[in-house]
Amino acid sequence: MRVFWELGWFFKERKKHYILGVMLLMVVAFLGVLPPRIIGFIVDRISQGTLTPDYLLKWLSILAASALAMYVLRYTWRLQIFGSSILLARNLRQQLFRHFTQMSPAFYQKRRVGDLMAHATNDLQAVQQTAGAGVLTLVDSIATGGFVIAAMAITIDWKLTLIVLLPMPLMAYMTNYYGKLMHERFHGAQQAFSELNDKTQESISGMKVIKTFGQEQQDIDDFKNLSERVVNENIRVARVDSLFDPTISAIIGVCYFLTIGFGSYFVTQGDMTIGDLIAFTAYLGLLVWPMLAFGWLFNIVERGRASYDRIRQLLAEPIEIDDRENAIDEDPSGDIVFSLEQFKFTGDDRAALRNIHFTVKQGETLGIVGKTGSGKSAILRLLLREFDDYKGSILFGEYSIDAYKKQRLRRAIGYVPQDHFLFSTSIAGNIAFARPEASLKEVESAASLAHIHEDIQNFTEGYSTVVGERGVSLSGGQKQRISIARALMTEPELLILDDSLSAVDAKTEESILKSLKATRADKTTIITSHRLSAIQHAHQILVMEQGTIKEIGSHEELMTKKGAYYEMYELQQLEALVEQGGEA
Amino acid sequence: MLIKETEKKQELTGREQWIIFKRLLTYLLPHKKMLLLAMGLLILTVLGDVLGPYLIKVFIDNYLTEGNFPTGPIVGLALGYLFIQTSNVIISYFQLLKFQEAALKIIQQLRIDVFAKVHGLGMRYFDKTPAGGIVSRVTNDTEAIKEMFVTVLIGFIQSAFLIVGVYIAMFLLNVRLALLTLILLPILAWIIYLYRKYSSVFYQDLRERLGQLNAKLSESVQGMGMIQAFGQESRLKDEFSAINDGHWQAAKRNIKVDALLLRPAVNLVYTMAIILLLSYFGVSSFSNTIEVGVIYAFVTYIDRFFEPINQVMQRLSIFQQAIVAASRVFLLLDEQEKIPTQLETNAKINEGKIEFRNVSFSYDDQTDVLKNISFTAMPGQTVALVGHTGSGKSSIINLLMRFYEFKKGDIWIDGVSIKDYETAEIRKKLGLVLQDPFLFYGTIASNIRLYDQAITDSAVRKAAEFVQADRFIEELPNKYQQKVTERGSTFSSGQRQLVAFARTIATDPKVLVLDEATANIDTETEMAIQESLERMRLGRTTIAIAHRLSTIQDAELILVLRQGEIVERGTHQQLLQQRGLYHKMYLLQNGIVE
Repeated sequence: MRVFWELGWFFKERKKHYILGVMLLMVVAFLGVLPPRIIGFIVDRISQGTLTPDYLLKWLSILAASALAMYVLRYTWRLQIFGSSILLARNLRQQLFRHFTQMSPAFYQKRRVGDLMAHATNDLQAVQQTAGAGVLTLVDSIATGGFVIAAMAITIDWKLTLIVLLPMPLMAYMTNYYGKLMHERFHGAQQAFSELNDKTQESISGMKVIKTFGQEQQDIDDFKNLSERVVNENIRVARVDSLFDPTISAIIGVCYFLTIGFGSYFVTQGDMTIGDLIAFTAYLGLLVWPMLAFGWLFNIVERGRASYDRIRQLLAEPIEIDDRENAIDEDPSGDIVFSLEQFKFTGDDRAALRNIHFTVKQGETLGIVGKTGSGKSAILRLLLREFDDYKGSILFGEYSIDAYKKQRLRRAIGYVPQDHFLFSTSIAGNIAFARPEASLKEVESAASLAHIHEDIQNFTEGYSTVVGERGVSLSGGQKQRISIARALMTEPELLILDDSLSAVDAKTEESILKSLKATRADKTTIITSHRLSAIQHAHQILVMEQGTIKEIGSHEELMTKKGAYYEMYELQQLEALVEQGGEA
Repeated sequence: MLIKETEKKQELTGREQWIIFKRLLTYLLPHKKMLLLAMGLLILTVLGDVLGPYLIKVFIDNYLTEGNFPTGPIVGLALGYLFIQTSNVIISYFQLLKFQEAALKIIQQLRIDVFAKVHGLGMRYFDKTPAGGIVSRVTNDTEAIKEMFVTVLIGFIQSAFLIVGVYIAMFLLNVRLALLTLILLPILAWIIYLYRKYSSVFYQDLRERLGQLNAKLSESVQGMGMIQAFGQESRLKDEFSAINDGHWQAAKRNIKVDALLLRPAVNLVYTMAIILLLSYFGVSSFSNTIEVGVIYAFVTYIDRFFEPINQVMQRLSIFQQAIVAASRVFLLLDEQEKIPTQLETNAKINEGKIEFRNVSFSYDDQTDVLKNISFTAMPGQTVALVGHTGSGKSSIINLLMRFYEFKKGDIWIDGVSIKDYETAEIRKKLGLVLQDPFLFYGTIASNIRLYDQAITDSAVRKAAEFVQADRFIEELPNKYQQKVTERGSTFSSGQRQLVAFARTIATDPKVLVLDEATANIDTETEMAIQESLERMRLGRTTIAIAHRLSTIQDAELILVLRQGEIVERGTHQQLLQQRGLYHKMYLLQNGIVE
């Protein structure tokens, strides 16, 4: 029940709605007591032969009025309580989204998208349930249960009430127990289902391999086995699920039996009338729901608490990268001076970067080469200020990069990542991502610079073509070039190409580099690449190895040095040399 | 290549819904026995449900009101009541379980059918349909149908039986009153009709908005790096907020419809029914004597009558979803894009001579991606395909592997048309190594063997040794039993490539079809791969797509493709001398400027 306390802030915020809702719920519970009692009264009069039309009309009118009133009240409390619960979900969802936008890449590295989605969907759902169905079951089981029992004890017979209610707690206990069991088994069923899902996903992605080896039938058999497991796990669930109704009717059956047995005795003793007895049995029927609700309440609250804990933990994650006080509110511009002693990724013992010192003059191009894991990307990520915890300083113009407002720094940098991520909107929307107000002309000129304009024009819907699952499927090279166009839209002070030309052919690579050079003469560019051709013409080249600078210099300097760069270059040219020899 | 939107918003007419529903019911047929058993049990439980109150009625009218309690009959009644209740509890447990079991089996069959159907579809289908959509058809959509079978359909059958049973009992007790209570049926039907009408619109809307909401959320989380890098946080927040608000409004509308037409409405009708009963008994009591037990029985029956209606109505939205899901599943089951058919003669591939004769091909029946392709690869020879992306290299391989059907020209293997071989023969003798080496969940060994249990452990090892994959496998902690997870992402692309080689070699194909990898592979692995490739090609006819011209200089025949046509052909030396396209590509690749 602690979760109700923890959600107290929300209940306070929606005080009026909850108070109104709970009060109406209680009125409904009270009115619900009327029909059995009225049935009892009328039965008594009929059995005694003393029923008059006036009496009948009076009570039936009361019954009709209460029915109409209940309809209106039930409608209203639902709007108040359930309406509030979905508002809570909406607000929490918005809060989560805002929080997500403030989280640093380090946060996204340790969490999986699926988990974050689960918090924002399943956990949110459970909290919504607590604020809606949770409140309902709590109030209703107490109010309805209380009023019905009171009506039985006060208006009919407290002894009979006591006797008959004895088996009732067992129902709450059993259903709660089944609920737990179900939850466990349901987990197994979901596991099996998710395996089946993975299997299907894999078969479809690997369709060509399966076809190549002619193993369609075997794959179908494998699927059959998995689907069998799904059936078996679900039957395990069904075995518990099918217990609910029979258990309830068994316990109710016992209650009925006790009612009729003892009730008849009391009737013959003259303590009760037959009408009382019939009213009593009707009351019994009304008790089923509060008992069930009580059983559910625990499940709802338990899930809600766990979920709300997870959401709060997520919201409590500190914002790692934030603006300093009095952060500089101007666009960074000028030379980049990178002087770093050491940088470690969180949770890593090994330094990812050591002793990195270099300067990129404004308007120059820096090339960075090295194997995967040599630290190329780490340098770029530090420049983007994805991390703050390093020893050393990185200057952009006059100030250190963390002195600027985050927004200012990021707007000055056009970043083209290795794994080109496009949003599922139009191509124009993707290119104009950083400047949604840009005209189509500007979009087209950025696309031309990235040498993707012609490709886009060949799509039937041109720049309006939608990208992604539901739209056009683009080749890796096309995606890369759209990413480049996107980064060029803001005419950034600093353009970063993180191995972003790997999927375009040599000719296109050359043309893109040429047009970049022409249009960005006074602006800085940093390129990392596996292919040396992409960085060969840079003013300065860093050769990275195991987190440190192995060599630094221009292409010509490095070539004369005959070090790692030279070797790499030679290796890439080796085949060429062999060929040339062969031809000569 | 544009993908047609296959998942358009679907508006099904009532008639279409009915047709889909009937088709779903045909899946019940194979489980007739189990369903009949469950129905038999259901009839028994309904009988028990109806008999219990009747016994109490007898007790009230014959003994209690008379104040007369003869031991024999009373004990008999009590025992009878207890017996009925007990057996009812037991039978209803099995009844509920059997129905669920049947539903699960039905869905399993549907799932297997869909999955098998997917395997029977031509590659063309996979080109135009996103993988996520197909997976959804097999799993999520069938799951929605399962929900419908388990919660709606079974509940509906149970309610229907109970309503019939209750009405029979009421008619036996009092025909006139039973006739009067018949008026409840159209009223309830009307409420259900209204609810279906409005909720189907509102609920569908809510589902769609939820889908949008989750898609936006998931995409934003995945692309957060980009959003932050371009400083678009507040714009995305606003966009999300708008979708979130829309979803909230839709949820509110749903709560209103539910509150108007579900439990509160059914409860209103229930109380009206009680009023009807009481006025009938009250008014008739003015002229006749009324048996109190009958009132009791009617009140109880009416009570029983309403509970299942409440439950079924609450779950009607599930029905709606299931029908939409089923329509998508059936669309897939009716898909005509089949795999190419074979004549299935007994011809065998022994030599591995490959001939393309005037083959033209188009993916969309409009623009030809291959135009009049002819070439011959003699047994043991290597034919290399060279050209830019979109030149038609991959299409040649796609046709040779029978992934797509072609209409013009023919491909001959060992002098027999490729269309005459059994599919199994082609699969056995032609080994394809894909550009993107796909690893399945399992172990290294299971990835080399795939499902072919005839390949022994030592054969697996031999294959790995042959392609020199054993070097890195032996260094793994569990060697050949090393787990492969998440498509082998824990292995480098070079290692994955070697495993894929071993997989092909294990089947010992006559013809090798290679789609050279363009991925970044470090120089060391690259050398191992080149060496292995040379060994694999030895004694096998090889059709290879080459991106690096250096890897194919010893090919007997090099075909240079441009826009679906062979523009140059010859050996490496011949082509260089021609000083044509090949020569230019060669210079470019080697960074030589003339």
